[in-house]
Amino acid sequence: MPATDPNIVISDVSKRFERRGQTFTALEHVDMQVAQGEFVSIVGPSGCGKSTLLYMLGGFVAPSGGQLSAGGKPVTGPGIDRGVVFQEYALFPWLSVADNIGYALVRKGLPRAEQAAIVARYVDLMGLRGFETAYPRELSGGMKQRVALARTFAYDPGILLLDEPFGALDAQTREIMQDELLRLWRSNRKTVVMVTHDVDEAVYLSNRVCVMSHRPGRIVEEFPIDLDHSASREDVVVSATYRDQRNAVWLAVRRQVTRASGGAAA
Amino acid sequence: MRVLLSLAKLYPLLLVAIAWELAARAGLVRPIFLPPVSTVIAALPALFWSGDILAPLGTSLYRAALGLAVAMIVGIGLGFLMARVRWIKWLLDPLVSLAFPSPKVAFLPIFVLWFGIDHLSKIALVAITCVFPFIIAAEAGARTVSRTQLWAAETMGTSRSGLVFRIILPGSLPSLMSGVRIAVPFALVSAFTAEMIAGGGGLGGDLIYAQRFFETTTVFALLLVMLVTGYLADALVLGLRRRVLRWHEG
Amino acid sequence: MSRLGSLAGRIGSGLAPIALLLAAWQALSWAGAIDSTTLPAPAATLAALARLLEGRGFFVDLGITVLRGLGGLALGAAVGIPLGLLMAVDRRAEGFFNPLVKATYSLPKTALVPLFILWFGIGSVTNVLAVALSTVLPIIIYTYHGVQSAPKILIWSARAMGTTERRLLWDVLLPAAQHGILTGLRIGLGFAFLIAIAAEMIAAQLGIGKLLFMYGETGAYDFMFAAVTAIVLAAYAADRALVAVSDHLLRWQEPAHGRTGS
Repeated sequence: MPATDPNIVISDVSKRFERRGQTFTALEHVDMQVAQGEFVSIVGPSGCGKSTLLYMLGGFVAPSGGQLSAGGKPVTGPGIDRGVVFQEYALFPWLSVADNIGYALVRKGLPRAEQAAIVARYVDLMGLRGFETAYPRELSGGMKQRVALARTFAYDPGILLLDEPFGALDAQTREIMQDELLRLWRSNRKTVVMVTHDVDEAVYLSNRVCVMSHRPGRIVEEFPIDLDHSASREDVVVSATYRDQRNAVWLAVRRQVTRASGGAAA
Repeated sequence: MRVLLSLAKLYPLLLVAIAWELAARAGLVRPIFLPPVSTVIAALPALFWSGDILAPLGTSLYRAALGLAVAMIVGIGLGFLMARVRWIKWLLDPLVSLAFPSPKVAFLPIFVLWFGIDHLSKIALVAITCVFPFIIAAEAGARTVSRTQLWAAETMGTSRSGLVFRIILPGSLPSLMSGVRIAVPFALVSAFTAEMIAGGGGLGGDLIYAQRFFETTTVFALLLVMLVTGYLADALVLGLRRRVLRWHEG
Repeated sequence: MSRLGSLAGRIGSGLAPIALLLAAWQALSWAGAIDSTTLPAPAATLAALARLLEGRGFFVDLGITVLRGLGGLALGAAVGIPLGLLMAVDRRAEGFFNPLVKATYSLPKTALVPLFILWFGIGSVTNVLAVALSTVLPIIIYTYHGVQSAPKILIWSARAMGTTERRLLWDVLLPAAQHGILTGLRIGLGFAFLIAIAAEMIAAQLGIGKLLFMYGETGAYDFMFAAVTAIVLAAYAADRALVAVSDHLLRWQEPAHGRTGS
């Protein structure tokens, strides 16, 4: 699906690492565009460099070749136009839940009253009422990820970068959090790039799923997803559309995994 | 080439030595306060060959080693008992937490009263300083040995003493080696300090003697010897730990 | 024991075994099994301690030693914490100071006392500087490792939320280093009283170290034991106070990390 209004453009990006004098290529010739308001997932075998690609979009890691741009500007470093949610939550353990959610608002220099109002709104929205003064260590994994999502949504970046955001959660909590994310996204239609190894998660949440090959990672297949999210989760998951699309993506990932283990010696 | 590079990283030491030399040579400070570094180094061989370093070094190391050995035996024994026997833990825990942060050197006058000013009072100070790291390391180490490991050993017919020597002791080794690494510099500093305070030879005694007679070059030479001794002792412990803990992950 | 929970309960359960040991010691002393001239009984030591605490002189000596110890520690922290931070964030500073720290770390710290006596004479300057030099190294090292242990992912996410490099120090690196800094301070505190007393025993006009030796030389052993008791209690109180402050500052930390207290 060629994007009509590309918000994120990745063109011919590659990444090479040097380790003990040896060079190995993590990513090669990666091209990708993400439209304004689109939810794109990247799936692939472990070690394919999908997280590295996301870190490059975040501006934490520089590409060895090619260009990345977000919102029309080349990516040169981290910026508040791109919010990042990590699998390990990355909450500041020394700040309370409310202070974590408000952190970027303080950095932005919003008036105090406005900060408090936004924090209160996201505390309510994510079901964190009563935990405002708790420290992250007192929260379960699911609660921590709620805080991490709230923190990122609170400062309203145009682009969301999600790095296996629910990878550390148990199966039930993961489904609840997926629906929370979907609800947030449907209410404000941010541009989202999510990296995950969970095919069901990718298909359930995204408009489009990109499948990456094993090292060197490239985007080898793309699947537009068309699900009716006004229906309940149960109805979506048991529908034939979901099943077909999910199977197609799963087979594509499977092809990459078998190719990787077959050619691992090379 | 790699050796040269790592030597080049030591340039700050050279800079300090040059600054020291220049300050002393330029007469910024009187040599009685700060002799040039070259003079100190030049004095080392003579001190070395005359036995003015080796003999007191031997005395100090003897005191440190003996005190360390006593601390190790007593400390590991008490630590294991505290980990396994509830009433001993109850009895000793408050004593250990009271004594651990206390400045042990305050006990030196008591040891001098009991054991006189020769070896024994210094060995006692070394032992009392080093015993607490061993108690704590042994207790923590013995606690890392799980009940299931002990049960597994028992079902395979291990005796009670076998449990201590074949299961608890090896299982505690990583923790014990950390205790050794803390205790060895404690042992050296306690031995030197006891000698500085109560006399009776050793590097510490000689250091005070040199200072009283304003032999500043000797003061610096002895400081260098102490520094190198401490460094070599730590390197020895690290090497030992690597050998002993080959099976240990991390 | 922890099931009692309350502080009073914990202090009580800690005092009971100590009281038991003291009672046994006292009983042996009365029975004549211990020579009470070289090992004064607890009752005699307590009586001597009570007499010491009546006069002002003892507090002057104890106060001087404590002030020297804490003053030296404060000086060590004032130099060590910024230096450790600088080494952790600036590669050139690390390259310069790291060899110096490593080279001086193995020096037995009390050995500097004679040298300082040569330079600064007998007194508080020598004493405080010796304490400062002994405490500065662990503080540098623990601060440095504390900053280094700041998770990369926290630094990344702070940057993603618009944190400047300057703010990063205050918002992420320093809080992350808190545990390390407090551990360094606690180790430094252990050295502080040790060095202060040792320096006083080597040469001093005032201070508890000097007092201990004086009692030893004049044969006032019950007073010597009383003074040792006082310094042990003072050091314990200082350590507990630092642990209480640490636990409060680190109340956000995962219990698995292990608080500084025990």
